[in-house]
Amino acid sequence: MEKNGIVIGLECHIQLNTDSKLFCGCRTQAEEPNSSCCPICLGHPGSKPVLNAKALNYALQVALALNCEVNKEFFFSRKTYFYPDMSKDFQITQYEIPVGVKGHVALSNGKRIGITRVHLEEDPAALVHEAGLGASNFSLVDYNRSGIPLVEVVTEPDLSSPQEARDFLDQLTTILSYLKVYSPSSGTLKADCNVSVYGNARVEVKNVTGKRGVEKALEFEVARQKNLLLNEREVVRETRSFDEKSMTTKATRGKETEEDYGYIFEPDLTAIRLSTAEIKKMKQRLPELHAAKSKRFMQEFNLDEYTANVLARNFTLGLLFEEIAKQVEPMIAAKFLTRELMAVVNRSGLDLNALDLSADEIASLLSLLLDRRVTEKAAKEAIIAYLTKGEKPTQFIERQGLAMDLQERDIEKAVEKVLAENKKAVADLKTGNKKSLNFLVGQVMHLTKAKAEPRLVQKIIAEKIKG
Amino acid sequence: MGEGLSIKQFVTEVKKGNISVLEHTEKILSEAEQSNSQYHYFNLIAREAALKQAGEVEASIKTGRNKGMLPGVPLSVKDCICVQGIESRAGSKILSGYEPLFDATVIERARAEGAIIIGKTSQDEFGFGTFNTNVGIGFEIPKNPHDIKRCCGGSSGGSAGFTALTKLTHASIGESTGGSIACPASFCGVVGLTPTYGRVSRYGLIDYANSLDKIGSMGKTVEDAALLLEVIAGYDSNDSTSLKQEKDDFSKIEPSKLKIGIVKELFENCDAPVKKECMNAIKKLGAKTQEISLPLNAKYGIAAYYIISTSEASTNLARYCGMRYGLHEKLEGNFNEYFSKVRSNGFNKEAKRRILLGTFARMAGFRDAYYLRAMKARTRLIREFKEAFSKVDVLANPTMPIVAPTFEAIEKLTPLQQYAMDLCTVPANLAGMPHISVPVAMQGKAPVGLMLTADHLQEKKMIQAALAVESACK
Ligand SMILES: [Zn+2]
Repeated sequence: MEKNGIVIGLECHIQLNTDSKLFCGCRTQAEEPNSSCCPICLGHPGSKPVLNAKALNYALQVALALNCEVNKEFFFSRKTYFYPDMSKDFQITQYEIPVGVKGHVALSNGKRIGITRVHLEEDPAALVHEAGLGASNFSLVDYNRSGIPLVEVVTEPDLSSPQEARDFLDQLTTILSYLKVYSPSSGTLKADCNVSVYGNARVEVKNVTGKRGVEKALEFEVARQKNLLLNEREVVRETRSFDEKSMTTKATRGKETEEDYGYIFEPDLTAIRLSTAEIKKMKQRLPELHAAKSKRFMQEFNLDEYTANVLARNFTLGLLFEEIAKQVEPMIAAKFLTRELMAVVNRSGLDLNALDLSADEIASLLSLLLDRRVTEKAAKEAIIAYLTKGEKPTQFIERQGLAMDLQERDIEKAVEKVLAENKKAVADLKTGNKKSLNFLVGQVMHLTKAKAEPRLVQKIIAEKIKG
Repeated sequence: MGEGLSIKQFVTEVKKGNISVLEHTEKILSEAEQSNSQYHYFNLIAREAALKQAGEVEASIKTGRNKGMLPGVPLSVKDCICVQGIESRAGSKILSGYEPLFDATVIERARAEGAIIIGKTSQDEFGFGTFNTNVGIGFEIPKNPHDIKRCCGGSSGGSAGFTALTKLTHASIGESTGGSIACPASFCGVVGLTPTYGRVSRYGLIDYANSLDKIGSMGKTVEDAALLLEVIAGYDSNDSTSLKQEKDDFSKIEPSKLKIGIVKELFENCDAPVKKECMNAIKKLGAKTQEISLPLNAKYGIAAYYIISTSEASTNLARYCGMRYGLHEKLEGNFNEYFSKVRSNGFNKEAKRRILLGTFARMAGFRDAYYLRAMKARTRLIREFKEAFSKVDVLANPTMPIVAPTFEAIEKLTPLQQYAMDLCTVPANLAGMPHISVPVAMQGKAPVGLMLTADHLQEKKMIQAALAVESACK
């Protein structure tokens, strides 16, 4: 038993970002409902599946990145059950021998979470309830989703809190993004969450969407089960569903027993055989993953753990950082990227991967800042313009006339010196003492041998004090 | 015009302009239509499409552009093989109205050589039968061309029946899962050729049991069947189980006396007259023979076959639920109730029986004892065959233990007794070995067929032996 007595295991289903579906040539991205389907993904009689080699390669990479043992021979199976979103009323998935088994992933605190298995399967179609579930007496089916490749990642029951489950999903999606097999913006993540408290019955919350959804569903479920036990009531073994609006789970009607899917080998597909050498080669080709990269950043650039983690968590950001760090002081680059740049990204809801930022441009801007040829304020404006409008920072600085001349830089240096040496006057000025301002201006004039223009000195002092 | 010609002779005449493809097509369509009320060989006769195709082929011949191997050759096609735009029901009511959006690979290949698709032939529903009496709801049972009191055999009964009936040049594309080409060929007195599993693409085949299904050819002669196989065989990237093989000139093979293995157990369990005629045929051949024993195949073949085939079939048939194609019913109740209604009304008795059997065999708790065990048994049975082929070139046995039974006799058989009739055809089918049924004699009004089986991809040997048997029994 874990110390708080909560035991959680996840079965995660994540859409892989291949161009075409798992068993046919249909595009995975489509706007209009039912515009990307064919006899194969519609399950028309006579059609046959052909495995998408790219999807298989992606699944293998995922298994290897999650430290799994990759099976040298594996195959697909049919999982048969009737449901309106199933084009064949069976799903082509893996059963006895999946792509990979016995892996593990480290949470951010270093705790190791076991991976039971990683396998490849097809997504069913999407059911659309136009007036909302329950309100309409019919459903529509959109087969655009039918046959999109999913990788299923099953964990051991090693997670001991909803927060750990969330952390695990963060680690997992970061790894998948690193492998470039998953697009957080367009690919969905769903999970079946198994949870029990204090060794009581295990409850499965099925088909929860998104990382936040999983965390919330588990929080509710843990509280609910603890509550039942506090009131000396029994936790029943059951399957529940999660309602995103009310953030609650409720028992699904009907079947309490395990469903019998009557698995058979998929006879339309042949077994996949890999040599030890092929597997080894694939493992060697894996990119450096975020945990390793974060450690390297700490050592190589002397960064603190938090900053290194933020940089490494996002593959593009990490890449950008390393490029910029070749040109400017790494610590400065790291601070600027994690604070200023990521602030804009998060505030404006941008996708860093889609921005195609130039490390050289950002490095140039940082050089200007370090040489005090631009103010921090100007640098911030320039990066906002770059991220939101795509205007190059150097261009922006020039167009807006934000570059300071040599004299300004000298004045700025003098101001900084005076402010640093006159802490008391600065503090007074912050409380609104006008006399302190005059005093400070006088000091700067003295230092610059009266060459500075007083109004400019006032302006720079005001900016600096505001921060 | 064109009566009694082999495909090769017919093609020569067509290319010379001595036979009009349009007229010949019209003639065979009329025969199909006229005979259908009595014999019921066709579930659908594609008059319009066939004549359109015939017109195109005729035009290409007149301008000398036609380089095909089968210009103007009329082909009938088992109902379970998809033909674009032509209702393809696999003999089942549940597929009423299903017009495939694509041609099966075999149809595409046959068309490319100039063949004319004249219609979809009768079969047991989804191939679930030995006598072609298990037809779908609303379908007619085909009658034996030699004696209408007898069955055609199944499940490719319509293909065999019409091939035997018509005097015009004609061949048929059939499909075998456990003997569905050889059996009706034997009962109707035509040649039925089933290739190695994977030799012919299954793309466009409405599945019965995917790991066993093989599309093959049926013709009046070994040469006709071999020529059609040559056209439809070959690797196809749309079927993942298709084998990467060089194209073979099956139609240019000469007869040859190879070493024949006489399968002891498969002779033992046959009716005496059938046994006698088959032994006679082998004697006439004058080839070297050796008795071969296949005890495992004889003992476990049928059991393993029925477990695997029904397991796969029960998953294949799950998709027929009235949602996207085929039979629809009034939308009522929840999806489960609706699916059940469509399936209750759409499947006939034997389809329901096999769904139940197959679902049972793969259920948790029974799966190990049935499905997985049968899969393991199959591997053993293949090994037994392989050992036999280290001693002989081809194996011979009666195709069926009996001659075509009368409908009256069939009604008295229990399902288990019916399944037992597949004793001789099931082993080769389960092992995926190429086999051919050649007519060798008549037992009164009923033909007797001899089955020749070769090792995987040894179609050439099988055809050599079949040509020799055919000429010896003329
Ligand atoms: Zn598709």
